[in-house]
Amino acid sequence: MLKAIDAGMLAMEMKGEHTIPATRAAVWAALNDVAILKAAIPGCDSIERLSETEIEATVTAKVGPVKASFKGLVTLSDLDPPNGYTIRGEGKGGVAGFAKGGAKVRLTDVAEGTRLSYDVDASVGGKLAQIGGRLIDSTAKKLADEFFARLGKLAAGSAGPET
Amino acid sequence: MYAFAYQRPNTLKEAEAAFNAGEDASYLAGGQTLIPTLKQRLRQPSVVVDLGAIAALKGIAATNGGISVGAAVCHADVAAAPEIRKLIPALARLASQIGDPQVRNRGTLGGSIANNDPASDYPAALVGLGATVHTSARDLAADEFFTGMFETALASGELVVKVSFPAPRRAAYVKFRNPASRYAIVGVMVAETAQGVRVAVTGAGPCVFRIPEMEAALAKTFSIGAIQNIPIASGELNADIHATAEYRAHLVGVMAERAVAMIA
Repeated sequence: MLKAIDAGMLAMEMKGEHTIPATRAAVWAALNDVAILKAAIPGCDSIERLSETEIEATVTAKVGPVKASFKGLVTLSDLDPPNGYTIRGEGKGGVAGFAKGGAKVRLTDVAEGTRLSYDVDASVGGKLAQIGGRLIDSTAKKLADEFFARLGKLAAGSAGPET
Repeated sequence: MYAFAYQRPNTLKEAEAAFNAGEDASYLAGGQTLIPTLKQRLRQPSVVVDLGAIAALKGIAATNGGISVGAAVCHADVAAAPEIRKLIPALARLASQIGDPQVRNRGTLGGSIANNDPASDYPAALVGLGATVHTSARDLAADEFFTGMFETALASGELVVKVSFPAPRRAAYVKFRNPASRYAIVGVMVAETAQGVRVAVTGAGPCVFRIPEMEAALAKTFSIGAIQNIPIASGELNADIHATAEYRAHLVGVMAERAVAMIA
């Protein structure tokens, strides 16, 4: 659902879930592994852990003709191992503007492994918001889907299916 | 605009070589999307390879039972071509409604489909009419060409050369356009082709899609009544400041009915 906060900024919210064939402990480990996060974040060029809860990342977002590089800080909070956390990122993309977003991630046991459910909010400002209004919603949806699908595959791959 | 190198090759081979030699190269067709993006500094290619001088990308020709349109043909030329107006009037009409005169006289068929903007008109024409995309490497059915939002089956450096459209028995395209940009908020192509009835929708979702339920219903009875009660799910549709997903779902039905009404 898309809403305009003010003239120069756009925000959206969405929910989703993926079922991952791995134990909750394995999925939790993947969520805290910067190498796996780097492989899962679409367009992630570099990632560096600064502390237990702070990660610095550079991400290149390519959507259609637009290609913008964002550098920013990712923080983990509400840590509740192995049940979930909140991951938030905020990056500046130079002339393109800025993007920020976060996801509340919850893990629960299901018969097939682990259900990862997420509650995402994202917003962009600056030039991206001015010209990209009609596409922010679908872009954020696409990036979040890609991230959680890749994360699921990586978590399942590193741990093997639950027996 | 950032500085970039500029090349204007004369052949497809030279174009692909120039593209592959650049670290972050970009092809330039009509420039109706790329140039504004460059001006806004939202893209910084190292080299821009202008396709305007390549003869192989030009021209409109009658084929066995259809029309082939070169990738570099602008929308205004598609709209005005006598052979297209005679054989596939729905395609000429669709091209006449793209953007404004500037876009129609500079923007090209190849540029539009390679960009695959979710609100562009041509994807509905290609998928609705069952066209074939001829690239510098292979031939692709339109159903396989458009793969996602701004995504196509084209490999890096691969170029659209031309598109062949088989002539349908009857076809109509109706769009609900954004009054400012003229982009399709929802556009529907309904066509009765040699392979059956096809219904293709652009603008509503992240990428052009077909509606098999409507195609099956129209194949039985080609009338508005046949599709009036087919529900369109809004779950995967686009939402933005112009229209909600639910409104777009509703418009898909209305545009499809209007298209059928034009040719039933």
